Amino acid sequence: MTMGRLGSSKSLGKLRDEIISRRDPDRTYVAVCGSGCLAYHSNDVFRAFAREIKKRGIEGKVGLRLTGCLGFCQRGPVVIILPDQICYFGLKDKDVPEVVSETLINKRLVERLLYQDEDSNKRIAKINDIPFYKYQNRLIIGNNTLIDPRNIDDYIAVGGYSALPKALADMTPEGVLEEVKKANLRGRGGGGFPAGRKWQTTRDAPGETKYVIVNGDEGDPGAFMDRSLLEGNPHSVLEGLILGAYAIGAHEGYVYVRQEYPQAIENTELALEQMREYGLLGPNILGSGFAFDVTVHRGAGAFVSGESSALMTAIEGFVGEPRPKYIHTSVKGIWDRPSCLNNVETWANVPLIVNNGADWYQKLGTEGSKGTKIFSLVGKVNNTGLVEVPMGITLRKIIFDIGGGIPEGRKFKAVQTGGPSGGCLPESMLDLPVDFDELSKVGSMMGSGGIIVADDGTCMVDFARYYIEFLASESCGKCIPCREGLRNMLRILNNITAGKGEEGDIETLEELSEVMEAASLCALGQTAANPVLTTIKYFRDEYEAHIRERRCPALACPELISFHIAPDKCKGCGICVKDCPTEAISGKKKAVHVIAQDKCIKCGSCLQVCPKKFNAVVKRSRQDLPATKSS
Amino acid sequence: MKDEGTKSHFVGLRMTEKESQMLSEAQEKSQLTKTQLLLKGLELLGEYYTLGLDQRPLSFELKELEQESRRHAESLRRVRSRANAIREFIRDLRAVDDIVDRYGCKENNLIQILLGIQQENHWLPRHALMWISERLQIPLARIYQIANFYEAFSIEPRGAHLIQVCMGTACYIQGGPQLLSRIEEALHLQPDETDPEQNFTLKTVHCLGCCALGPVVKVDDDYYSAPNAKEIKDIVAACLEREK
Repeated sequence: MTMGRLGSSKSLGKLRDEIISRRDPDRTYVAVCGSGCLAYHSNDVFRAFAREIKKRGIEGKVGLRLTGCLGFCQRGPVVIILPDQICYFGLKDKDVPEVVSETLINKRLVERLLYQDEDSNKRIAKINDIPFYKYQNRLIIGNNTLIDPRNIDDYIAVGGYSALPKALADMTPEGVLEEVKKANLRGRGGGGFPAGRKWQTTRDAPGETKYVIVNGDEGDPGAFMDRSLLEGNPHSVLEGLILGAYAIGAHEGYVYVRQEYPQAIENTELALEQMREYGLLGPNILGSGFAFDVTVHRGAGAFVSGESSALMTAIEGFVGEPRPKYIHTSVKGIWDRPSCLNNVETWANVPLIVNNGADWYQKLGTEGSKGTKIFSLVGKVNNTGLVEVPMGITLRKIIFDIGGGIPEGRKFKAVQTGGPSGGCLPESMLDLPVDFDELSKVGSMMGSGGIIVADDGTCMVDFARYYIEFLASESCGKCIPCREGLRNMLRILNNITAGKGEEGDIETLEELSEVMEAASLCALGQTAANPVLTTIKYFRDEYEAHIRERRCPALACPELISFHIAPDKCKGCGICVKDCPTEAISGKKKAVHVIAQDKCIKCGSCLQVCPKKFNAVVKRSRQDLPATKSS
Repeated sequence: MKDEGTKSHFVGLRMTEKESQMLSEAQEKSQLTKTQLLLKGLELLGEYYTLGLDQRPLSFELKELEQESRRHAESLRRVRSRANAIREFIRDLRAVDDIVDRYGCKENNLIQILLGIQQENHWLPRHALMWISERLQIPLARIYQIANFYEAFSIEPRGAHLIQVCMGTACYIQGGPQLLSRIEEALHLQPDETDPEQNFTLKTVHCLGCCALGPVVKVDDDYYSAPNAKEIKDIVAACLEREK
């Protein structure tokens, strides 16, 4: 990049024209997911493409990009070929030569790598015809396909950094603020607090030095929206941040990213560097006189540090514990100065609002919740991945139309939204619209965007216990209701799942929940009981079965079940005998195998390795153990 | 460098007035900061030992550092001569210096500096924390408070291979706990434990962000989706093979 600092909004426009004119709109591009798909070794696929393209001498005609998350994680590594929008799934590096010669050179499809429809068995090639993508509205993550996050020019070419010059040249800070207020942008981190109001508070707060902060501490297990945004399109977040800083009158910003996301950190830092080169950060942004710069702070891993006051103490270099918020952090935050903190996704919405106007934005979503929301759809669902949908879509549509329903023909049991602060909802609630207000009415919440689907093999008591265990280990311990409440809840839930529950346990749990909700210092403790309360409310019979009958209806709690080999189904193949880590399975070849219960650690490996055509390993409730159970 | 004052405390020990005076004189003369002077002192000490000479009279601080170098060598269960222990120790402290300078010698960069050390060294040895305490003028107790609070830090040595079993929600309901029990059995380790040979450290983590693969285990930089007991044995064996 030789452009150097851009002196005005006009020179940015010129740069954009120049980048676009240099690029042939019909040029073929191969986008390889370099985010979540890295776990499937997508970088090998990327390298194979680079090698093969070079070998075939088509570098001039075909471009290659390692992009951010392309959404459909279940079928990774995902490759999308532009401009035809052909999607290939589950690519291995050995498939690459065929794709290059067939699709890139001869313009033919490689059928076996295309998406196959579950019902009709038909192959589908184009992204927008695939059910997973068809029902989405990918305003924010859709550009990931077109952008190499390590190249600022890609972002500029798709219209990035057009909101910034518009704001700096044609709008006053108040004007930007009013637009965001009018759009009714609400915080995507889970709370749903109106961003415009927060900005106003910080703007009005006394003090010269103010800060704006990106909260990328995404701590909810099972959620990766922020990671995907920062990895795939960091500039969209940073452009939003500058716009916010301009509206608020802040000149310093922080991006707080957890260190578990090394690639998000790397891409953000690189983006900042390139922005400085172009003069999009620094003393005089685009010749407007507005000065702003950003520092990246890596979070060292503490769930509670995602809370605003805790996050700010962490940036100061202290232990990230929350403080009482009689005075909001928007008035007294980092070093007691006014600090405006918003989630990654919230910031990424800002350029859209400034570009298209609040009226346009108002058309998306529901009465109280405008715009789209990104969700990570995971758990027992066929199509796991990252989805972006307009607010107000029903849970059923997300899980069954986009998610493709429950795998292996099992039955849907519950959906958990809102992470550890949210709740579990049963089938009867699936037609609720998903937005900030509707889910809260039934005891759950939309939260930051994790949607975890559970099937009939998931024990709801154990599921609640899982969240409480997580929260108990993440509670900072500063206030007593949270620390002791969680500890006691965990003790009770451990007992219940181990078959040692007692009458009255459910009531004690409810009582503890009430105290924690009323008396905890921060949202972690105040909402911690939600997973327990909602599972009691909607799945009370499972609690009662554990307590009264010492039985786990889902056959999931290890203490209450045992593994057996059905004699009539076992063919004596010996696979499980060899696999068992504790050598608990005995039996000669061709003879029926038996599991010694005293040695079994219930790891389920035998169930996993037993060939599907035999299906000889079964789980049973402890009570119905055969009389001859080993001593 | 004006980041380090001439405060007389170091890791909680006080110098006598005379020592303190000598130190500031030496600092003035040499134009070195206190930590640079201490490093020089340690280097000299190392040379004495190499020449087979016995211990010289030491200032409190040097004595403390010298003892720490021996404690550290012993804690790693490696037999070291005094000279070698000091040499390795100096190398460690210089590496800490590099990281401190990279992030900036400021109080609010403490967490970033600790993350840097954790990343390069896989754990936070006591002498590294002492050195940071001196350079950033932050009490050692507060550094330990932070090292204990955050998940990313380890104040115990870690094994050469880090095995992280994902206990994120998606992995949990897809069989994370069962996977963990298989791995515990294969390694004979419980979560947060390191084997005596320091080959493996077993940890559970909340979400590796690849929920579609669940249940997932991450071994160093590689991800494995739902390995069965035999596959785990192979993975462990491959790690040990690489060590040879």
